[in-house]
Amino acid sequence: MATTALTPAASAYRSGLYEWLTTTDHKKIGILYVVNSFIFFFLGGILALGIRTELALPGVQFVDGEVYNQLFTMHGTTMIFLFIIPMLVGFGNYVVPLQIGAPDMAFPRINALSFWMLPLGGILLFLGFATGGAASAGWTSYAPLSEDRALGSVGSGQDLWIMGLTLIGTSSILGGINFLVTIFKMRAPGLTMFRMPILVWTVLVTSILQVMATPVLTSALIMLFIDRNYGGHFFDPSNGGIAILWQNVFWFYSHPAVYIMVLPAMGMISEILPVFSRKPLFGYKAFVFATAGIGALGFSVWAHHMFTTGLVFLPFFSLMTFLIAVPTGVKMFNWVFTLWRGKLTFSTPLLFALGFLSMFLLGGINGAFSAAVPVDFALQDTYWVVAHLHYVLFGGSVFGVFAGVYYWFPKMTGRMLNESLGKLQFVMIFIGFNLTFFPMHQLGLAGMPRRIADYAANAGWNDLNLAASIGGFVIAASMIPFLWNVFISLRNGKIAGDDPWQANTLEWATSSPPPPYNFDHLPEIRSERPLFDLRHGRTGH
Amino acid sequence: MSSSPRTRPSSGSILVGIVAVAVVGAAATWVVLNGSQILQSFFPPEPKTVQGHAIHDLYDIVFAIAAVIFFLVEGLIVWSVIRYRRKPGDDELPPQTHGHNLAEVIWTVIPTIIVFFLFFVSWQTLNNVEARSPKPDLLVKAVAGQFQWSFQYLPAEAPPDAKPLFTVSIPVGADGGLTLPAGKTTHLYLSSPDVIHAFYVPQFLFKRDVIPGVVNQFDLTLDASDAGQTFRGQCAELCGIGHRVMLFEVHALAPDAFDAWYQGKLKEAAATPTPVPSGAANGPKLDLVAQNVKFDKSALSAPANTAFTIHFDNRDAGTAHDVDILDAGGTKVFDGKDFPGPAAQDYGVGALPAGSYKFECSIHPTLMFGTLTVQ
Amino acid sequence: MTSPSTVLTTGDPGHGVAEHNPVAGLAHDTRGGISNPILGMLLFICSEVMFFSGLFAAYFNVRATSSPWPPVVANDPVLTEHFNLHAEPFYALGLTIILVLSSFTCQFAVWGIRRGDRTGLIRNISVTLVLGIVFLLGQAYDYSTIGFGLADGTFGTTFYTLTGFHGAHVFGGVIMLSVILYRSLAGQFSAQHHDAVEAASLYWHFVDVVWIALFSTLYIL
Repeated sequence: MATTALTPAASAYRSGLYEWLTTTDHKKIGILYVVNSFIFFFLGGILALGIRTELALPGVQFVDGEVYNQLFTMHGTTMIFLFIIPMLVGFGNYVVPLQIGAPDMAFPRINALSFWMLPLGGILLFLGFATGGAASAGWTSYAPLSEDRALGSVGSGQDLWIMGLTLIGTSSILGGINFLVTIFKMRAPGLTMFRMPILVWTVLVTSILQVMATPVLTSALIMLFIDRNYGGHFFDPSNGGIAILWQNVFWFYSHPAVYIMVLPAMGMISEILPVFSRKPLFGYKAFVFATAGIGALGFSVWAHHMFTTGLVFLPFFSLMTFLIAVPTGVKMFNWVFTLWRGKLTFSTPLLFALGFLSMFLLGGINGAFSAAVPVDFALQDTYWVVAHLHYVLFGGSVFGVFAGVYYWFPKMTGRMLNESLGKLQFVMIFIGFNLTFFPMHQLGLAGMPRRIADYAANAGWNDLNLAASIGGFVIAASMIPFLWNVFISLRNGKIAGDDPWQANTLEWATSSPPPPYNFDHLPEIRSERPLFDLRHGRTGH
Repeated sequence: MSSSPRTRPSSGSILVGIVAVAVVGAAATWVVLNGSQILQSFFPPEPKTVQGHAIHDLYDIVFAIAAVIFFLVEGLIVWSVIRYRRKPGDDELPPQTHGHNLAEVIWTVIPTIIVFFLFFVSWQTLNNVEARSPKPDLLVKAVAGQFQWSFQYLPAEAPPDAKPLFTVSIPVGADGGLTLPAGKTTHLYLSSPDVIHAFYVPQFLFKRDVIPGVVNQFDLTLDASDAGQTFRGQCAELCGIGHRVMLFEVHALAPDAFDAWYQGKLKEAAATPTPVPSGAANGPKLDLVAQNVKFDKSALSAPANTAFTIHFDNRDAGTAHDVDILDAGGTKVFDGKDFPGPAAQDYGVGALPAGSYKFECSIHPTLMFGTLTVQ
Repeated sequence: MTSPSTVLTTGDPGHGVAEHNPVAGLAHDTRGGISNPILGMLLFICSEVMFFSGLFAAYFNVRATSSPWPPVVANDPVLTEHFNLHAEPFYALGLTIILVLSSFTCQFAVWGIRRGDRTGLIRNISVTLVLGIVFLLGQAYDYSTIGFGLADGTFGTTFYTLTGFHGAHVFGGVIMLSVILYRSLAGQFSAQHHDAVEAASLYWHFVDVVWIALFSTLYIL
């Protein structure tokens, strides 16, 4: 087990609260992002439990109308903007500079600023609960409902939502710029673009999406704020405004956003599968092109969220939506053939990666149904869509996040997470997830719309809703072994050493955790697996 | 050097494995026992319109392809997991295959062909579903507001803003809903005075958004066999605090039954309205206001065995409300006629015996209700 | 492995990178090409272009679905007349000329400092700054006399939103130029080190280009 001796100066920096609050070190900032994102994951999860508790049985038991609308609005908003996007940025922050052999990000102080905008933005969003009502027009905040102060968004929460998201969006844009300059300009010698780890590629494409798409959301938010507070008429049809203008501008961002939410997780899977199969990623170049293709095509499909408006050019958006399945399929096959004829070690990171593969597959497939426009007429705005989005974002991205947590926790902390607890969490979350979201396919087909606080007892939806609610609590329970695992491993986990997984990329060529400046020495870089080459004598040293 | 892998699963892992197998086994058993019902749940309901049949057929095609792809890829994953497990102690590297260009070409080209096929098939279906009959048998405007549906029956070939022949304000029940002729084509206009709603009938496999400032239109051709059936519908686009109560029903009637109903409605609309009975001149007067789809009071009281008046002020512009009174057993003892706001009417209520009654708006019964105590 | 770390930059004479100060030289990539801060500014400008694209898209969407445009307000011929910006573009044209001039002077400043001409830098940045402030004051005056407000239909809303956010960006540019001026006076720039001046000038040109697009769209098209 190789270890890198830290120079004396390295351990002399303060690790106290002041250091954490003022750090510009990408590794600490990455950890701050991850911890902050987990806090909001749990908050968003509590909101989800509120939803599932109400829907477990027909009849209004706990929350109705305005409060229920706040629950699902804040659940979606929190999970997307305060959990999954920043969580992936956090992992990128930690891992990308290490993987390219850089000492830090290009703009460390802007990096810190980008982070601190997040808890502030989150506070703004949640402040609505304390000031008369959080936003309640859905995370999609369709106008004119989001402008309707009487029967729609009743409290000041909608304005706080706009402000919080504007702040969070700015954090996103600055982070994207930071990643792009870092990746383009600060790679170690020998690390050409086509030797970058796939995680770096996915962060690169994600960052382009963040820089190009997020500002369009900002413009939409500003227009909505002007309509709500300064007498504007952008989305107000009774004064010459256009109701679906909001949807067009909003989805122009929010569709690329879903790739922001999943591409880095795909990158993480692409790191983990090769290590635990003990062979390289199958089709590296195809992967890069597929990722770029998804990023580009992702800008051309936004109106597939609007098929039922009757106001968009259906054939174009249907075709582009079908086409985006092709690069996604390419990735799927490349991952599967990475496993094929490998020698698989079923550590927890691999289990979650396999979970990603099988669940994201389902999510991609059920999405294809909606690409067929007439079928979308039946499925849009029903629980089928809720199933789809959770299979790709939970079965996909969240499983990817947990794979990343188990994989990189040793590098970040110097300690291994307990394998048995990890496997227990995996089994619980896998079962809970499928129990919660699989029945939603049937519920959507049977006609249950989204965003309803209650349903008729004779509609035939009772059993499936009860199953989904039980599943939700199983997911919640699966967090217990996880949190316990983190707690005991931080104090007493097995010492990890530099490279506990016999991995391929540069972050494992330094100590766990790395020194502030990341590397004392870098191995020679001649392929996308510099550490593998070093270990197996490819570089000739 | 990394830590060596375990050569023997821990007891924790074994326990987890047993639990996993048990759960999967239980699930599989339940699936086998409930087989065909479960299979049906993977498909949309049996469609009731011509357009719905086209959509269902398209769904079947997509489903077949999706199932094949799912089992193929999932099968590969499961096979890899079983077959390529690393044997304990085996430190030799597997063949370091970096890729295979032909494979990449194959699994790019074939999926592209498949998606183009799906695109064309769905485009064909779309043209069928969106087709407009040049001479529909019926013209109806569905008005979606916060939080009710109402249906305006228009003269043939009328524009959307034409004066309706008659309006059905109550969205559900025997006296309300959208009544349509089975086996015929109805052309629907969709209109909203406030926010975006969506007209959704699951058994038609169809929904269309109702967007303020725009009039969406489409044809619905009910199957002839639908006669006598009722289909539930619901708003499918979040429209505010009352979104979940925006239900409606579609009643399909055989053509002659429909004609009879239609003529009856025309007569009703043409007849001079019966005067609203006013209460005794010096009887008690209760005030009730409807605003923002809520009553301003949830409790009213009136003296027993005395006729009284409810002065009902509807302040919701364009939205119809009414006041009905039901006794403890659920029987309607007073049926106020609905009217749109802003307007006020006096409802004259006959004498009621002492007891506890419920009052409600029949159009928004779950949002607007209260207790009337008579003593 | 005994070869020294190859990730650290070593070739920057002005900074004397020492092996025991590993993070020095971070921002100065000696592999050539565009510098980090300037690349960062260009990407930031891309994001700002996308922001304005959203606003322009809204404007064109509203305009394409409104007939006539500018709108004719029933019962209010005075307001209708005020909406007719085509009739009186000259004031806005004046503002345009001021801003275009300021782009020239800004570029003169950049060319100056590339030659090491600190005086030229200071003079030209000062003029650019003054012109920028004049533009802002001129815009404010225009708002006060233009005869319609933000709440006056979609015309008012789109006009004020587009020009208002552009003005906010000019204001941001003015702040940026003030900082550049301060740093220039403090002698912080040289022919070899003036990334901030380049970056600020790129931003200022961007602001100018957006104004030209705005002016053409609102007053001419």
